[in-house]
This record gives sequence, structure tokens and C-alpha cells, in this order.
Amino acid sequence: MPRSQFLTLVTFFGLALVFPLVAPYEALATEILIFALLAMSYDLVLGYGGMLSFGHAAFFGIGAYTTGILLIRVFPSVPVALTGAICVSGLAAAFVGYASIRRHGIYFTMVTLAFAQMFYFIAFKWTGLTGGDDGLQGVPRPNIGPIDIHPEINLYYFILALVIVSMFIIVRVVNSPLGATLQALRENRNRAMSVGYNVDRFKLVAFVISGCFAGLAGGLYALLLNMVPLGSLHWTTSGEVVVMNITGGMATLFGPVVGAVSIILLRDIISNYTDAWSLFMGLIFMMAVFGFRDGIVGFFQNKIMPTAAKFLGQVFPKKH
Amino acid sequence: MNLQFVFMQLFNGLILGSLYVLLALGLSIIFGMLGIINFAHGAFFMLGAYAAYTITSYIIPDYWLALISVPILMAAFGSLCEIVLFRRLYDLPPLYIMLLTFGLMLVLQDAARLVFGSMGVPFGTPKSLTGMVNLGFMYYPSYRLFLIAVTSCAAFAVWLFLSKTKLGCIIRAGTDNPKMLEALGINISRTMTLVVGLGTGLAGLAGVLAAPIQNVRPLMGMDLLVDCFVVVVIGGMGSLGGSVVGGLIVGQIIAIGVMVWPPMANTLIYLFMAAFLLVRPRGLFGRESFHE
Amino acid sequence: MERKWHAILTACLLSIAFFSLVNTPVVAEPLKISVLTDMSGPYAGITGANVEAAKMAIADFGGKILGNPIEFVYRDHMCKPDVANQKAKELYEKEQVDVIFDCPNSAAGLAVANQAKIHKKPFIAIGSGTTRLSGPDCNRYTFKWAYNDYMLATAVGLWAADNLGKKWYTITADYAWGHDLLHHFSEALKAKGGTLLGNEMVALGTSDFSPYILKAMNAKPEVLVLLNAGKDAVNSTKQAMEFGLKKKVKIVHALLFIEDIKASGDIFAGDYVTGAWYWKSDNPGSKEFVEKWKKQFNKPPNWMNAATYSAVTQYLKAVERAKSKDALPVIKALEGHEFRDLLANPGKIRAEDHMEVGNAYILRAKNPGEIKEDWDFFDIVGVIPPDKAYQNPKDTGCKMDTAE
Repeated sequence: MPRSQFLTLVTFFGLALVFPLVAPYEALATEILIFALLAMSYDLVLGYGGMLSFGHAAFFGIGAYTTGILLIRVFPSVPVALTGAICVSGLAAAFVGYASIRRHGIYFTMVTLAFAQMFYFIAFKWTGLTGGDDGLQGVPRPNIGPIDIHPEINLYYFILALVIVSMFIIVRVVNSPLGATLQALRENRNRAMSVGYNVDRFKLVAFVISGCFAGLAGGLYALLLNMVPLGSLHWTTSGEVVVMNITGGMATLFGPVVGAVSIILLRDIISNYTDAWSLFMGLIFMMAVFGFRDGIVGFFQNKIMPTAAKFLGQVFPKKH
Repeated sequence: MNLQFVFMQLFNGLILGSLYVLLALGLSIIFGMLGIINFAHGAFFMLGAYAAYTITSYIIPDYWLALISVPILMAAFGSLCEIVLFRRLYDLPPLYIMLLTFGLMLVLQDAARLVFGSMGVPFGTPKSLTGMVNLGFMYYPSYRLFLIAVTSCAAFAVWLFLSKTKLGCIIRAGTDNPKMLEALGINISRTMTLVVGLGTGLAGLAGVLAAPIQNVRPLMGMDLLVDCFVVVVIGGMGSLGGSVVGGLIVGQIIAIGVMVWPPMANTLIYLFMAAFLLVRPRGLFGRESFHE
Repeated sequence: MERKWHAILTACLLSIAFFSLVNTPVVAEPLKISVLTDMSGPYAGITGANVEAAKMAIADFGGKILGNPIEFVYRDHMCKPDVANQKAKELYEKEQVDVIFDCPNSAAGLAVANQAKIHKKPFIAIGSGTTRLSGPDCNRYTFKWAYNDYMLATAVGLWAADNLGKKWYTITADYAWGHDLLHHFSEALKAKGGTLLGNEMVALGTSDFSPYILKAMNAKPEVLVLLNAGKDAVNSTKQAMEFGLKKKVKIVHALLFIEDIKASGDIFAGDYVTGAWYWKSDNPGSKEFVEKWKKQFNKPPNWMNAATYSAVTQYLKAVERAKSKDALPVIKALEGHEFRDLLANPGKIRAEDHMEVGNAYILRAKNPGEIKEDWDFFDIVGVIPPDKAYQNPKDTGCKMDTAE
């Protein structure tokens, strides 16, 4: 793992430790954490794999429903439910990925959207299992061994631990041969193919790994809300994840995290002051495109940092 | 289920299909030229309906005037969007323009809500087109027949424009390969303005036509937008004939779905699309390596 | 090495950005009331003003209770159950409110009811109509005010079977809410000896209702029932008019507000619907409330606004009776309480299922020629007493926890 990424991860951890103390409220901090994981998992697909999937909400929602159903009906154990969520979402991602990865460009986007819509309608119609439009209500939060996750703050730190581990794994995946191959594929598909890489298989692996983490994020979401809203499967949730990635900065891993944090935080704060929050969010997205074209993180790295470094360089000249 | 019902339902499918055709044509030419999914397209449709409402209830209460002026106004609005917003982003990956249109969609929808309210606005059928017409084998609302006629004319006009005029020729060439066009020394940015204007104008026309039969609301375009993605994909991205055929097919799938299995009518088009793309990966008329 | 400094600097700057965005915590105040409602989503036009109704109720109460000031906060849940859930936590935990009011959308209402149970603080549901709140999902901390889906369907069903005809056809929105309404509607019909000629389930997101209208026309019913709301109600009625069905049958709706009629012209003229209240009603205090509202907002209130005013007022009175703002004493003061106010005349908060019941009004939308005053869109044509309009508490499926 490159030093810079390791340092960013440590910084993230440090900030995340004190985040609930400064966030508007604790449950919001947890929500932001979950969406940060979701956005980061999607970076594998979009940023590294170069695949604009519009069905990421499917794996998020499937993870949430699996966790909810396992906790309510089968076995009240969080580790079991979350493992289940990861597995089922991974399977769903394998299925969707297998059917769609051979399509390229915009067709890939549309096939993933079509599958996601189908999952949405299945959950909508299968009221007996999912609660339909009323959502899956009454998801419990059983103790994990000696840990009581009922208080929001305990749940936050439990989720933080899982998110840090997940992020560590995602960073490792990106720096593995798989990650390097993916980037080569994204940059020049034909060259990679002529070198002998099985392009589709690499993409599928990335898609499934991403789906697993989206499923984990979904499972955590069900724990946070004590319910699963049907909207978790809706295409607008996929759209939000895409927007988080672009505004934060693609293929930077921590860019999407920054995107998730800023979008959710801003929406929460703006909506306390005006009912026209969606107008302001739209304006912010539009400004984001013009203002910082490489996302928030890119903006800091390319615009602010060089200026700051130059300034610091003048104040503290380097010793030769 | 009697035969008359089947006929009526096929006609209803045609109505829905007509709206899809108008929207998909615009979506498709914008996609062809800019390589982006225009998320604001549904909002343009909505704006067209609201423009018609504003004209008929505050300026001159004449539906015909709205029918002619709204597409022109919307085309101007679309061109303006292209000049002020889209143009600055052509040197970036298309993803950024897509994010821009996503933001634009939110802004337009919320602006409509703030100005006109979330409940929607009243819009009646134009006086001269109320009532039913006897077609021999069934009675059918005259406004719906009018809608089919206008859509056919509009689609025909677009086809004439694109296939018979020099400008149309340039647009078609640009849809095929914008870089080549530039290499030939043609002012591509003016063509882009025209294309976005044309697409937006068609969305506006669909909005005026839909206003008397649907509820004019800020979110009215959002539901149709995703359906239109399906239309464009089935027809083949960037293919104009594809948009027309795709729109009519999707309209009929929904209409037939309603007769056969009503609760699943809307899911059916996604099933159909997924299955269809497995057989024909590029839709009906999509070309290989086009924006892939 | 430079990259490392970049990363650290980025992190520092971002953290400064976070800290500057953060609100300062608020110390708990004597009595804090909150409204959680849809202010920017599809129901905003109906429920957004509930915030104002609550403010008015507090002001009319005198702004003080048990010698302490009454504080008020509100939150927008955007009609999303996940946001509602999170905002309920914010209100109970961070804002330390003593009660939450309203919360339209069934899924959102159920989620907040669960949070009320977890936080052991009252939640008085108004906008959310699901019978689950006073049925299988009921809990000690949740109350349901002014109406529910059973009442909407049953009241107009009973009345229409007596007054409009016995042959029926229904067009139903195909999700939990529509199914629930259809069930109660057909029960009411069966009780009155009517026949249901057919029903159409309409998928979510359908904008073209004409095929269903055609099927209904073929069945030749006396009454057409549209079990949908909002844009679906407008679309289906518009298309029924287009195909000439409206001239042949009476149309009954599940949910219509004065704002719906204002927003859609004369398409609803002559149609019937249940309402929990109408601004021309002469309940005690009704006229004063309407006058004040009209002066402030230049339009009369809808029945959701009146219900919010009533709920907040009755809650404040219960706090006064309990001489405490603690949850359990207030809940006990509410349970079984009978009262008369602008909304309910008479009204009762049933202890068995926490349902506040009152008369249900049958409203008929006026024809354009009959409207003498702006916003006076309805005639009250019938009144259904609470014992008929609401389900017997034994049959709701609610097992109320009565532990102290």
C-alpha cells in the first residue's frame, strides 16, 4: 500500500473517531459512514473498472433486505446477518455482472439499470417477504457478544470498525495486481486484450467485490434504521452514489468518501433551513462540475495544495 | 375481453408510444452528438407542459398558440443551456456533462415546485378537441387522435429535416463521428447548439401534448424518463429510426401488458429490455462500436 | 514526500470544513414540541402547512405551560421513510423533544412509531394513514389522530351504497395502501348488500388509466371508486372525463383535499370523498380557527392542518391535566379522554388502540356553477358517526402494552 494512501486511511480513521461528537446528530454520522463505504465500493466499478453502472442500489438494497429478513425471521445474530448480506449481494452482483459486462458503454449502464429496476419491482410486489411499500419494519439490533449496539454511539463505533476493515481491504484490492490490471483495461482495453488479459473476467471480479461491499453497507443501513426502506433499491439511490463519486473525485478511493460526506451533510443542513434543498443540491452539483472538475479531492490536490505548498515553501524555505 | 377493448387498448399503446417517440428522438440525437444521457430531458418535458399552462392561462388562452410557441421557446431554452453550460465541458469526459444535467434536473423540478406548487396546475382538453369520434369500429377521444396526428407530423418533419437538408446531413454525420466532422472543418459547436435545441424542442412538444391528458406536476417527467431510456436502448443508441420503432414497441408492450397482466405492466418493459439486449446487444438499429 | 503533505493538508482542511458546518448543541428546555412532515416532496402541498397549524395551536394555548415556555421545532422528511427515521432520532435525542407530530407516508409513520417506542417518547401520527399504526404495529407511545385508511374507505362506502347505487367498480393503486383501502371498501359494500362488478389493480407509476377506464365502462357500474391519491387521482379522473365515463356514473375517491381541486380545475366536480373535517363545518372553535388561518395565509386550512391544530391542542391539555411533561403521565391523560373541539365533535382517544375517533364527513365536490366563494369546493352531504366510521378496537389486531 502506498504511503499516501496509508496516511489518508489513518487520517480518515482519526477524523472518524471524533466525527460523532461534531456531526449534527449521531445517527447522521453513522449514515454518512455507511454511504462513504457504499461510495467507495462503487469507485471499484466506476473509477477503477471504468464501468458506469446504474444499478448499484440493487446490491445495497439486497444487502439491507437480507440482513433485515435474517434478523427478523431466521436468527437474531448480527455477524450471521451481515455475512448473509455480503454473500447474497455478491451472488446478485455475479449474476448481474455476468449478464451485463459483455455490454459496453451506455448499453452496460442501461442493462444494469434494467436489472436494478427488476429487483426494485420484485421487492415492491413481494409484500410477504419485504413489506412492499411500507418497508421492512422492526429490524432488531441484537447484542454482539458483550457489545450492546442499541445506543447510536455504540453502533457508530461498531460500524466504524467494519468500515475501516472494509476500506483497508478495498485499498489492498486496488493496489493488487487485479487493481493494476483494471486500470490498464480502463486506459486501453484493446492493448490489455492483446497482451492476453481476459478483460471480462477481471471486470466481473471487480464488480462482484464491489457488490459484496455494497451489500455490507446495505446490511449496516438496515441496522441503523431498524427498518429497510423500499427506496434503498430505487434507481435514484444509484444515481446518488454516482453523483457522490463524481463530485468527490473518481479513482481516488477517498474522493467518493469525501463526496458522500459532503452531500449527505449538506443535504441535512440545507433541509433544516429551506424546503428548496433539492434546488440548492442541484446548483451545488452544477457548480461542482464547473468549479472542481476533478472532484473535491482533486480540487484540493490540484488547486489548493500547490498554492498552499508554494506559500508554505516561501514561509519556510527548504534547507539545502 | 371484447375486440373493441383490444382495439382501443392498441390505440392507447399508440398514444403512449407517441409521447415516447417524441422524447426518445430528442434523447437519442443528444446522446448521439454529445455521448451523454441527458437526465434533464424529463425536466424539459415538464417545463414544456408548464410553459403551455403559463401561456394558456396568463397570456392568451389559446391551445393552438401554445402548441406552436412552446416547442420554439423550449428549443431556444435548450440552445441557451448548450451555449451557457454544456459547451464549457466538451473537453472533459462525458460523465461531467451527465452530472451537470442531473443537477439541472433537480434545479428545474424544484424551481417548478417553488413557482407553481407541488400540487400541479389545472389543464383541460382544448375546447375544439373534446368529445369522441366514431371510427366505425369504435369511439375514441378526438384529442387522442389529434395527438397521434401531431406526433406523426413531427416525427416526419424531423426525418425530412435530417435526411433532406444540408444541416440535417451534418447532424447525422456528427452523430456518427463528431471528430471526423471537426476534421472536415465544420463548425461543430453550432451544430451542437442546434442538436440540443432540437431535442429540447421535441421534449417541449411532448409536454404540451401530454398536458391535457396527464397531471401537470413538477415530477411528471421523472417517471417517463426511465421508460425513455428503455425506448432508446431497445431502438439502438443514436439511431433515429430506432427511437421511433422503440417508442412504438414499448408503448404496445405496456398496453398489452395491461390487458394480460396489469400489475406487472411496468416491470415488463425492463424484463423485455434485458432479454432483448441478450439477443441483440446493440438494440434494433444500434451500430457497432458506437460510443462504446 | 510532497504527496504525503498534500494528503495531510487535505485532511486538515476538510476537517476544518466539517467543524465549521456543525451546529452547537442545545440544552433541553421545559416543553419541546416538534412536527416532522413532508415539506418538499409529493405531499408538501397538503402537509407542509401543518408546521404553521402547530405553531398556531401553541400560540393560541398561550405559549406557556405549567409555568414554562413551549418550544417548537420542525423537520422536513422529504417523504422518505429513511430520512423520517433519522430525523426522528435527531428530534428525540439531539433536540430532546417531548413529542413528535404528523409524519405523512405509511412507511415513514411506521418507522417513527418504532423510534417512539425505542425512545419512550410520544408520537402522534396524523398524516400517515395506515391502519397498522393502531393495529398490529401499535405501541404505547404512538397515537393515531383524525383518520385512517379504514375510515376513509368505510365511511364513504357505507354512505354511497345507501345513496348512490349498489353496483360498483373499483380501480385500485397496486400497493399496500390501495390493497388496504380495497379490503375495507368491499367489506362496507358487503355489509350494505352492494355488488362489486370488478376491480382493476393499477401498477405503480402508471400515467395512462384509459384501459382501466374502458374496462370499467364495459362493466356498466353505477358507482366508480378510484382508490388512489395525488397524481393518480388526477390522471384517472381526467381520463374518465375524456372517455365520457364521468357522465354515466358517480365517482367516489379515497382521498381529496381542497388543494387537489384548486390544482386540477373542474375535473372533480360532482365526485364524493370522505373527509375528517371541512372548513365550513360549525364545530366549536372551527370558525375562529378558519378566520385566523385565512387572515394569515389567504386561504382556508385543509383537514390535515385542522387535525394538527387539534392534536397539538389536545396534547397540551393532556400535559396540563397530567401536571407533567413526562411521557407516561401524559399518555395516561390522553388515553380514553373525551373532548369536543374544532375537529372532533365529539372526539375520543380510544385507550385500546390509541386511535382518536370523531365523525367522518361525506363531502361532495361542487360543480363550477355552485362555487360562490373561492376555496369553497365541497358540500357536506353526510355524517358517519365514529362507531360506524372506525373499526371496533377488538378487531384492529392491536395488543396494547399497558405496563407502567
